[in-house]
Amino acid sequence: MSLLSIQNISKQYTVTDPPALNGMSFDSERGKIVALIGVSGSGKTTLLRIIAGLETPDAGIVVLDDKTLNSSSVFVSPEQRSCGLVFQDYALFPNKTVYQNIVFGKGATDDSDRLKQLIEMAGIGGLRQRFPHEISGGQQQRVALVRALATRPKLLLLDEPLSHLDPDLKDSVRTELLNLFRETETTTLFVSHDIEDAMAIADRIVVMRDGKTEQVGQPSEIYKRPINSHVARLFGKTNFIPAGLIRGAHHVFEDEKGKGMIAPIRPHQWRIIEGATDDSNAFRGKVKSMINRGAHLEVALETEHLNLTLHLNAKTSIQVGSLLTVGCSLTE
Amino acid sequence: MRRLKHEFCFNLNPWTISAVLIGLILFLPMAEVLWHLTKPAENWEHLRDTVFGRYLKGSILLVVGTATLSILFGVSSAWLVACCEFPGRKIFEWALILPFAIPTYIAAYAYFDLIDRLTPLLIWVRVNINQEAMTLLNDTIVYPVTIIVLASVLYPYVYLVARTAFTRQSSQYIESARTLGHGPHSTFWRMALPLARPAIVGGVALVVMETLNDYGAVEHFNIPTFTTGIFRTWLAGGDLPGALRLAACLMTFILLLLVLEKWMRFGARFHKNSQSDRPFQRFPLGQAKAGVAIACCLLPLVIGFILPLSRLVYWAGLTVAKVLDMSFLKLTLNSIGISTAAGLTTVLLALFLAYTAKYFGSRTVRATNRLAILGYAVPGAVIAMGILLVAKQLNSATGWVFTGSLTMLVLAYIIRFLAVAWHPIDSGMEQNCEQLNNASRSLGASTAQSLIQINMPLLCNSLVAAGLFVFVDTMKELPLTLILRPFNFETLSTKTFDLAKQAQIPESSVSALCIIIVSLLPVVWLNRQIRTMEK
Repeated sequence: MSLLSIQNISKQYTVTDPPALNGMSFDSERGKIVALIGVSGSGKTTLLRIIAGLETPDAGIVVLDDKTLNSSSVFVSPEQRSCGLVFQDYALFPNKTVYQNIVFGKGATDDSDRLKQLIEMAGIGGLRQRFPHEISGGQQQRVALVRALATRPKLLLLDEPLSHLDPDLKDSVRTELLNLFRETETTTLFVSHDIEDAMAIADRIVVMRDGKTEQVGQPSEIYKRPINSHVARLFGKTNFIPAGLIRGAHHVFEDEKGKGMIAPIRPHQWRIIEGATDDSNAFRGKVKSMINRGAHLEVALETEHLNLTLHLNAKTSIQVGSLLTVGCSLTE
Repeated sequence: MRRLKHEFCFNLNPWTISAVLIGLILFLPMAEVLWHLTKPAENWEHLRDTVFGRYLKGSILLVVGTATLSILFGVSSAWLVACCEFPGRKIFEWALILPFAIPTYIAAYAYFDLIDRLTPLLIWVRVNINQEAMTLLNDTIVYPVTIIVLASVLYPYVYLVARTAFTRQSSQYIESARTLGHGPHSTFWRMALPLARPAIVGGVALVVMETLNDYGAVEHFNIPTFTTGIFRTWLAGGDLPGALRLAACLMTFILLLLVLEKWMRFGARFHKNSQSDRPFQRFPLGQAKAGVAIACCLLPLVIGFILPLSRLVYWAGLTVAKVLDMSFLKLTLNSIGISTAAGLTTVLLALFLAYTAKYFGSRTVRATNRLAILGYAVPGAVIAMGILLVAKQLNSATGWVFTGSLTMLVLAYIIRFLAVAWHPIDSGMEQNCEQLNNASRSLGASTAQSLIQINMPLLCNSLVAAGLFVFVDTMKELPLTLILRPFNFETLSTKTFDLAKQAQIPESSVSALCIIIVSLLPVVWLNRQIRTMEK
């Protein structure tokens, strides 16, 4: 049973601009965490604002928990939707203390035990009397989250929840978020352009492109089986090898430019083959450049027909200009 | 289509409906005046053939002259203060705003004897040459004098926007112009002035509107303009339809002006606030040039502030014992009371209108708001005519007497000064509250809760400033108050006018000074605000 259902949502801001959303559809189950990802301008935030009721779609239907929120004859105002929204810049009320912010929402104080528990879980118990400008970015984010969760929303919407945080803070916040969502059993939809965040937190990922759904699935599934080169590239560097050159590829898709079927091979799938080989998936080429990425060595290899990107063990000793034979492991 | 449908199906609620109604009600008097262009007026042909040409000529001469002189005063002093270094620059920077505090009619009274001194000469010309020569001589003296007086207190509109524009052009442009080999002169003409043009046009438009709004000064110097025409036709001639026709013509004139302003500023938001914080090297001026610069800044300041103020202070010293009595206390209280009422209601309405348009994202409310704030451009006499019409209709519709009531007077002030309150509140909301309103909506808070708990505390400063501006503007207002005040209701401004009209100008100086002192408050505030903005 799906909790949220988005059907054919379209939105065009001005006649001259391309539509922000162009027939977007997907469903989300109760209690799941869904990530909406896509490059900037793909319509992610617009969709989030439409679900929250802050924007009206030109066409399409939004249904939450069997209640229609948007259709051609229905519009439920934002305050009656039971959709908590955490803004990218948190939008904490600067004239209110942390605690006043948290209890501002409708029904936030109905269940004081739960509220206490939420504040404890988020670790902001000591900040109650502080003002938003007196606490750190990570703390502000947790306050915004608790403020939204305190109203017991049916659906929690997060706009780029981790984009404002330092890299070293990100990991811990990610874990905290995950715990908080699991423990409060909140259905969550979050927008991100960071694949790492989406992979780490989401149960399901919806990939958007040009205002449409491109692929929906579990994170690992999309990573391993992208439906086209755009999705594959979104999930990191990828070598696109014509399917004819790779035998036994477990996943191929049609090239968007009509050059036939291609197989996506991730850089880490390559390994060096020493000596002669009869492996038909072996490629021989010249090393064009090398970048030391710390954990691995990123090598650009030029073969007869292709330019490959490889991630090799950092201890590998090779020189720019030297010849190299590589093969790829097709096991998942 | 879809958006229109959304507006009508889902954006209709008590808030938006009342906002639209209020907006339309505030626009109604202006609309009624415009509507009168299409109605027949008995004496119109007579008016048109006899005096209309004179009113038009007088208004246009004044507008062109005052605008030109204001540009000269305002732009030159702004450039010097913003971009050159000379002794006293820091003092001039704020002192040049001071003439703002002096209403046009009070400035005119301060120079009342200027033209009287020339009366013997005029008589001599009439006796020895002829009547026409005297009229000609009178015109060639009276117009420049009035223009100088008006421009010397109105130029701050131009000065302020030009100074901000020059400062904001920032070191970057000016330094690059200098490295490209341009001295102060060619930097000004080829780079700074064209860049500042849109801002200056906006300032000049305000000068023109104030010039057309003025009644006291032109009446005092006996110059035929639309405003004096409206008063004469109605009060002296008892011809309300004729006065309405004139008001409608003036209103059309103003609308054309607004279109012209839009057109001249078209596509011209070039000056951008650059991020560089480096203090910027002003052009140092040599001794001779610094002397010229000081003279340039001193001239408008002396004519527009120092001289009139010192004359008023002197007269006030002579007459204060005679003037200060119970009746003076009463009219001061009247002024404060009516200005407070106007300030409070205007701020509350402006807050309500701006908030409703923003909160519901309603295009209809935004459109009616635009109509409602049009009053800032419309002369007080025209609004007063519109209010008279509305009051008359209300009288016959309800059986109560609205004409000459305080309610109608306050309503007129609201219409005239709504924009004064609306702009700071609207921009404050845009800067601070938009995202927070979204947040509070998604938390399930009600519309009133968001307004009272989030918007009002955050907008506190803007609200106080808006209230202060309306308070002071109401206190200074003359033509509208003269037409609409209830019988025997005197304020500081009408008292100043009445005394001046009875040739008791020294006696009028006490109430004039009271108005100036109150008016200095927002000037000080404005100056502080702009300084922090320019930084």
